[in-house]
Amino acid sequence: MSEILVVDDSKVMREMIVACLRAEPGLVFTHAASGLEAIERLSMQAFDLVVLDLNMPDIGGIEVVEFVRGQDRLKSLPIIIVTTRGDDASRSRSLEAGASRFMTKPFSPPEILEAVRGLLAAAKKPQA
Amino acid sequence: MSERPGSELSEFTGAFVAEADELLANATTQLLAAEEAGRKDQPHPRGVREAFRAVHTIKGLAGMVGVEPIVAVAHRMEATLRRADRTATRLSQEALDLLLEGLRTIQRAVRALAEGRPIAQPPPALLEGLEALDDGAQVPAEGSPSTLAADPLLEKLGPADREQLRQGLAEGRRAVRADFFPSPERAAAGLNITSVRERVGAHAEIVKVLPLAVPVSPDAPAGLGFALILLTGEDDAALGATYQAPAGAVRSLSEPRPVTPAGGAPLWPGSDVAEDAEPLHRGVVRVEVGRLDETMERLSTVIVTRYRLAKAAADLAARGADTRELQLILRENARQLRDLRSAILRVRMIRVTELLERVPLILRNLRRTTGKKVRLETDAGAAELDKTVAERIFPAVIHLVRNAVDHAIEAPAERLRLGKPEEGLLRIRCVERSNAELELSVTDDGRGIDREQVARRAGVAVPRTDAELLQLICRPGLSTREEATTTSGRGMGMDIVRKIAMEQLGGELSLRTEPGRGTTFTMRVPLTISIVDAFSFECAHQRFVAPVATIEEIVEVSQQQIVRGPNPAAAVAAPARVGIMERRGQPVPLVRLDAIFTLPDAAEHAPKVLVVRRGGAPLGFMVDRMLGQQEVVVRPLDDALVRVPGVGGSTDLGDGQPTLVLDLPALADYFTQVQEGVARA
Repeated sequence: MSEILVVDDSKVMREMIVACLRAEPGLVFTHAASGLEAIERLSMQAFDLVVLDLNMPDIGGIEVVEFVRGQDRLKSLPIIIVTTRGDDASRSRSLEAGASRFMTKPFSPPEILEAVRGLLAAAKKPQA
Repeated sequence: MSERPGSELSEFTGAFVAEADELLANATTQLLAAEEAGRKDQPHPRGVREAFRAVHTIKGLAGMVGVEPIVAVAHRMEATLRRADRTATRLSQEALDLLLEGLRTIQRAVRALAEGRPIAQPPPALLEGLEALDDGAQVPAEGSPSTLAADPLLEKLGPADREQLRQGLAEGRRAVRADFFPSPERAAAGLNITSVRERVGAHAEIVKVLPLAVPVSPDAPAGLGFALILLTGEDDAALGATYQAPAGAVRSLSEPRPVTPAGGAPLWPGSDVAEDAEPLHRGVVRVEVGRLDETMERLSTVIVTRYRLAKAAADLAARGADTRELQLILRENARQLRDLRSAILRVRMIRVTELLERVPLILRNLRRTTGKKVRLETDAGAAELDKTVAERIFPAVIHLVRNAVDHAIEAPAERLRLGKPEEGLLRIRCVERSNAELELSVTDDGRGIDREQVARRAGVAVPRTDAELLQLICRPGLSTREEATTTSGRGMGMDIVRKIAMEQLGGELSLRTEPGRGTTFTMRVPLTISIVDAFSFECAHQRFVAPVATIEEIVEVSQQQIVRGPNPAAAVAAPARVGIMERRGQPVPLVRLDAIFTLPDAAEHAPKVLVVRRGGAPLGFMVDRMLGQQEVVVRPLDDALVRVPGVGGSTDLGDGQPTLVLDLPALADYFTQVQEGVARA
């Protein structure tokens, strides 16, 4: 069982992301409608992976990643950034800030599914 | 057409349409607010940011569901908005025009998608225009606010946030920092970052919310929290009280500065603009209308089954069975169905303010094409109406707004000459009336309708009253002639407005006009139209129903009470008319329903009369037998071939047979016209 936090201010987008990941058994999804809600959830509950939108009110995805990576407890939390294509600068900024993967919308269900599987499997391996 | 990249996600098309509609409405409101601020030479950083986010989200969603034309427009709009947001600059008028045009283009594409039509490619001129927008000409903002206290947190603010703070301080508000630390206990008490943001937002303008990491303490059990950077006129204690903040959580970032009363005009566009610009509330579920209709349809089948049940129980009772217990349950069941029905109806209600959201944009275009100056005032309070009614009435509102600007409100120079304010006033008022009706009026302070001119055009005598004038301008033929001459007067599309208000919605339309002072059109429509309380009755062995609201009185008459009409010739020509009955000293003309519908076996004399009132005069319909009163689900007769005047739709009374729902007032109108035709001939 893996706890996934899906963060996007668009409810439709959150539902689409969950739909893309439906094929993988054993995933439990929690929705957060803003970067603030994401940080709040992360402060109160442990998650195995975060799917994070870049552009949200108050604080965007990059700010969330920067903040999360600054906390000891959350340093190695896998984070997939999803954003809309055309914002190429944000790819390097996201990865610099500490995102694990960067995906561009529109993505296909297999693409995101593969990224989630890979990150979850890597996190489960005992650290060498 | 190639397969859409997001075709796996096509199940989300409906949800996309709903969310895109909302985002487009929000972006439009924000850009109009930015335009308004721009007139006062102010940037509107928050409006720009909100518009940027809305367009960005639309682009992302459109990409996922594979609607390339929307992505193309949104992508270019986004670039312009991003620049303005990052640099906190004011959008030029040219940029605003193109951005609003972009929103309209996206809206058209979304509509096409919703209706399953092919989506047109965006006009190249629009794309090129957006791409050519140069940010060099825009006005950069001043430096950072000087009256802010030193707080390292402030360094995390972007230029747009700083500009927002600068404007707030210049206006005399205080900058405040409010900290919040979430915990499971606070969450259980309803305090989380989203609710705190909302509560604080009711008392302050939120400039930015920043995440905080602090040492773990009883106040901050997770060591993580938020700092809300605010602009407010309220004191720290009042702000803290809104979210039960511990002492010291709210502190000032600035000292208040006296407001400079230069000219009296606020630098920040009024607080109402700021309120309008609030992001849409969370905790709201968007539902496709189709699903609501489906729910209603399901309920209607339950209601039909209930009538069958009631009938079966009545049959049992007639055969001597003891049905007291059953009757009690049936009554309880009826009450529950009524409650369920009103609950579903409430879900279908939308706020009138939401309906009127698009009016400012339409007015803006009218202002530009006519060169007239018009101010809009809307007052809809908390009035709500059924989505179906809203969709039908909106085109009528637009017709009235268009007419007011095109024909009624004078050009600025003429207004000045007449001693009127240069800017015309258009007021849309909406109130919910106690009898489940909504009254919506559109008022202008223009030239009023010129009766003589309208009469001349129509080639009839000058109408004496506003009601007669209304009838005249609602004549279908009148509009084209008026339109061709373009000069004064009204009438363009008024027959459509009348049709919507009266025929489609079963409401009323009235007019008040004063030469030189202005005109008011008032529509009164039912809040909802799908289920009505109706009388059922029989006439020549046929069953009919008619809404209770349309019937003024049911009276029983004997043959002796009926007086033969004074004009036997007309009675022969139109056999439906049988005479006149006396009611409380007033004559009421009587017609036979069976004869109107030329039903067979119409010899039987009908002892019951349903009295309706139309345009002040009562008319009685004779029927054979009253059957009862019940709620019926009206299905509109959408087939144009079976559209008959006076028939509002069909329903099922539980016998599986379609029963006609009669609109007796409309039937009375139709009958009167036929009679007049006969009398003239």
